[in-house]
Amino acid sequence: MIIVGHVLRRSVLWILLFCWLAFALGPYLWMFLTSVKPASELSTIPVHYLPQHWTFAAYAELFHTTPFLKYMTHSIIVAVVTALATLVLAVPAGFSLSRHRFRPKKIVLSALVASQFLPSILLVLALFPIMQSLGLLNRMIGLVLVYTGFVTPFTIWLVKGFVDGIPKEMDEAALVDGCSELKVIWYVLLPVLTPGLVAAAAYIIIFSWNEFLFALTFASKDSVATLPVGLNTFIGDYVTRWDLLTAGGVVSAIPILIFFTLVQRRLISGLTSGAVKS
Amino acid sequence: MDTVTQVAIADVKRRHRESGLRSIWYLLPAGVIVALVIGYPVLRAVMLSFFRFSPLGGSVTFVGMHNYVQVLTSRQFGAAALHSVIWTFGVVAFQFVFGLIGAVLLNQKFRGRGIVRGLVLIPWATPSVLAAMMWMWILDANYGVLNDLLTRLGLAFLARPWFSQPHTALPALMLIDVWQGIPFFAVMLLAAMQTIPDDLVEASKLDGATAWKTFWSVKFPIILPTCLITTLLRIVWTASYMDLILIITQGGPGYASLTIPADAYYTAYSDLNFGGATAMAVIQAIVLLGVVMVYLKLLSKQGILDK
Amino acid sequence: MFHFWKSFRRQTRVVISSLTVLMMILVTACGTSNSGSNTTATNQVQTVNYWYWLDDPSHNTIQDLIDQFNMTHPNIHVVGRLIPFNNYQQTLINAVSSGNAPDAARFKDWWVGQFAQNHLLTPLDSYTKQWQYTSDILPQYWDTGRTSSSSPIYMLPNEYITFYLYYRKDLFAKAHLTPPKTFDEFLSDAQKLTDPAKHQYGFAMRGGAGGQDQWYAFMLAGGARMVDSNGNIVVNNQKAVQVNQWYIDLFRKYHVAPPSSVTDSYAQLLADFENGTVAMMAHHIGSYALLQQKLGDNLGVVPMPQADPSNPATMGSMSGNVIMDSSQHKTAAWTFISWLSSPTAIDVLDRSTNAQLPVLQSVANEPFFQSNTGWKVAIEEEKYAHVWPPLPGVGAVSGHVWEQTMDQALLGQISSQQMLDQIAATLKSGQ
Repeated sequence: MIIVGHVLRRSVLWILLFCWLAFALGPYLWMFLTSVKPASELSTIPVHYLPQHWTFAAYAELFHTTPFLKYMTHSIIVAVVTALATLVLAVPAGFSLSRHRFRPKKIVLSALVASQFLPSILLVLALFPIMQSLGLLNRMIGLVLVYTGFVTPFTIWLVKGFVDGIPKEMDEAALVDGCSELKVIWYVLLPVLTPGLVAAAAYIIIFSWNEFLFALTFASKDSVATLPVGLNTFIGDYVTRWDLLTAGGVVSAIPILIFFTLVQRRLISGLTSGAVKS
Repeated sequence: MDTVTQVAIADVKRRHRESGLRSIWYLLPAGVIVALVIGYPVLRAVMLSFFRFSPLGGSVTFVGMHNYVQVLTSRQFGAAALHSVIWTFGVVAFQFVFGLIGAVLLNQKFRGRGIVRGLVLIPWATPSVLAAMMWMWILDANYGVLNDLLTRLGLAFLARPWFSQPHTALPALMLIDVWQGIPFFAVMLLAAMQTIPDDLVEASKLDGATAWKTFWSVKFPIILPTCLITTLLRIVWTASYMDLILIITQGGPGYASLTIPADAYYTAYSDLNFGGATAMAVIQAIVLLGVVMVYLKLLSKQGILDK
Repeated sequence: MFHFWKSFRRQTRVVISSLTVLMMILVTACGTSNSGSNTTATNQVQTVNYWYWLDDPSHNTIQDLIDQFNMTHPNIHVVGRLIPFNNYQQTLINAVSSGNAPDAARFKDWWVGQFAQNHLLTPLDSYTKQWQYTSDILPQYWDTGRTSSSSPIYMLPNEYITFYLYYRKDLFAKAHLTPPKTFDEFLSDAQKLTDPAKHQYGFAMRGGAGGQDQWYAFMLAGGARMVDSNGNIVVNNQKAVQVNQWYIDLFRKYHVAPPSSVTDSYAQLLADFENGTVAMMAHHIGSYALLQQKLGDNLGVVPMPQADPSNPATMGSMSGNVIMDSSQHKTAAWTFISWLSSPTAIDVLDRSTNAQLPVLQSVANEPFFQSNTGWKVAIEEEKYAHVWPPLPGVGAVSGHVWEQTMDQALLGQISSQQMLDQIAATLKSGQ
């Protein structure tokens, strides 16, 4: 009886996972197939699912004649630095909002949410002079600054939520032992916070990875341009290079896939359960 | 408990009370950057909603509530507001429900879990332009995979020009955003599930509770704060997200998929009426503020804010 | 109290030192990536920042031209910046608004009114008077860079297009039809070429993004005008309403265009035409090279069909180059943009995949352009092509008003008259 239940549960799990993978990756599979089709097979009735003539010419062109790998490097640098900077800012802030008592806490928390109210397109005009006076136009650090500003509010909320979930006794015990609060954050809370930080990092990195408007407006020079800007250059006024666009899409998913497959191991439970007792 | 410990604990409690001033140093660095990058631009945009202002220059004239009156009486604003509500709440509801199911699935132990966790994340990490262009072809009326599959399955009557019909354009766009957004919730909730203490789950099982009951009575309350804050922020973001709409339908056919931010975009950059555009965004922000208030009430009730 | 103060100071130190570390990480990680554009320039070399978009991103013809110019002009260094067309106007507006405008930019006739009204463009008359190719450019081309017949010239013509009709020779032969010359023939041919059961339609109608040019070409060919000779807006007069109704009926009444026409954009049109899903498509020389390559002998080109062939009209559209008024290097910028419109550059540009019609008559008369049907038809049409009127409101009409109202008209939500009234109101409000 138990074994039957187990098998049943496993099959349900795999069926659901399969459906999800199909939905999530179907468009990417289609993107891949488009990238290996010659242009003449792109739009046919009835639809050709598999290319009749496989060609990897788009990938060759992507790597050899377009600065795509350069764009990808820029994207990786901007995303990683933004993630580090944001976490350094947001972890103490989130800790404070969870543990400290002070009056305007609700105002601070609401203000963080309210900061996300306006569409960024309406903020570009006001941000432009700031970026210029700081000398940050066409520099990756400029993008890092802007992205950090935009992702910090949610990251703080997230960190606060995760710190809330950690029993107070844990850090209080360390404080009693005479540790400073920052030491408590670093040595006691960070290890327990890891799942939350992984989620926050995923959010920050993906935000930076996808962001187009600021990247285009503030850093579209070849020497700093990021992936979304690069992908957009394959779309002309009349002609769209579907092969390059789709090949670029497939390639740009790879770093994210590797990154998350590596860090997801940190999403493990049970970190807090025993802590209270000991 | 001996007296030394009691004194030490009292000291810690006192330090917590004094933390009001100290917390400034924890919040200031983040606050400065957020204020610089968002705070000033937001205030300026709100100010501009009371002025006639073209981004190409010319005079900046104070017009009081004129922009607001004009927006609220404009032909398309009512439709745009309705679409914004459908878009925002529809998209977030689906993303959340599927994201939650996804998080539960990814929290199981199975072979290849690492790579599956990476793979399902990919839609989230797809730049808007790519997602838009890809789905545009998948849903294309003549060469789209979806219509082709429907035809092959004998369901040809369901095949249609998805983006060209008023009642299917917005749902088709929502489908794309749901696709992109599920992994966001899955990852956030999966992370939150890691904070569920194993002993609580064990205790519940020992009490004979079913997995279903254990989930709702033990696990869900623990991830609830994360659920609330992620849906809240997602609502705010989705309300302003317009890339897909601008690339695929430009708000069309007619106004069928026009949302408030898309309307604001065209008002700002085609009509060069920046005051009117910011007024639209401010109206939306006021509505969002209402949503946030309700949310904070909810959070307070759960005791989440006062912890 | 002392205890508190001590801890306060300790916190301060920690926060400041951690911020310093953070800044150092940021600077070392990203600081080196800034590439100064004119660090090594001597005083004599002037840097000209130039923005452009590409029609066909397969090959960056314009960067090639910039490189060639920089090689032959040691005193000027042009720095090109490619911006995708979909975001071009928006990016330019942001830059202009923040005082970061480039020195010179590729430009569409649609935007001249908006920008000139705000004194953002440099009048070019003092330069054009002394330019050796001024008389080689037709007077009506120069008019595309003005805001009225008496205004200065703000845009130097560079690439021109006229709308003509592509047709599939194979499909016409199969149906025993000849390409249409009149509106009536066009409609009857389209009807004969339409068979929805076989996914077969007569005409590729563009109701989605960018469709205003195609629509305007049909409006003009039907005898409607946007502005009369006195400068009055007549786009909603009786004649215009009737022609617009005819255009709407192609979709609503006669169903000779695919059901997706309401939101179809250029990419869908191209796919339809390449596949033979549609038999006719109105477009211009910008797509000729690509279609020629794909369809070969099956590609036919004829002038736009006309309601009244004795009084023909079609749409022309100019993209040229402007010098921003904020530029500190106007003379150098002129040297560059005038070089772009010189025979050397035009010959390169218009033989590339980014080709349009040569604005210089001497180049247009070269055998290469005369021997080729696409160019021949397009150049013939130049005589009676009209551009969008240089009204500031055209930016809004082409930006979204046309598309929103056209969609509604195609869906039957508003009438032809209501659609044109809204367009007329937008054109008037911009004045």
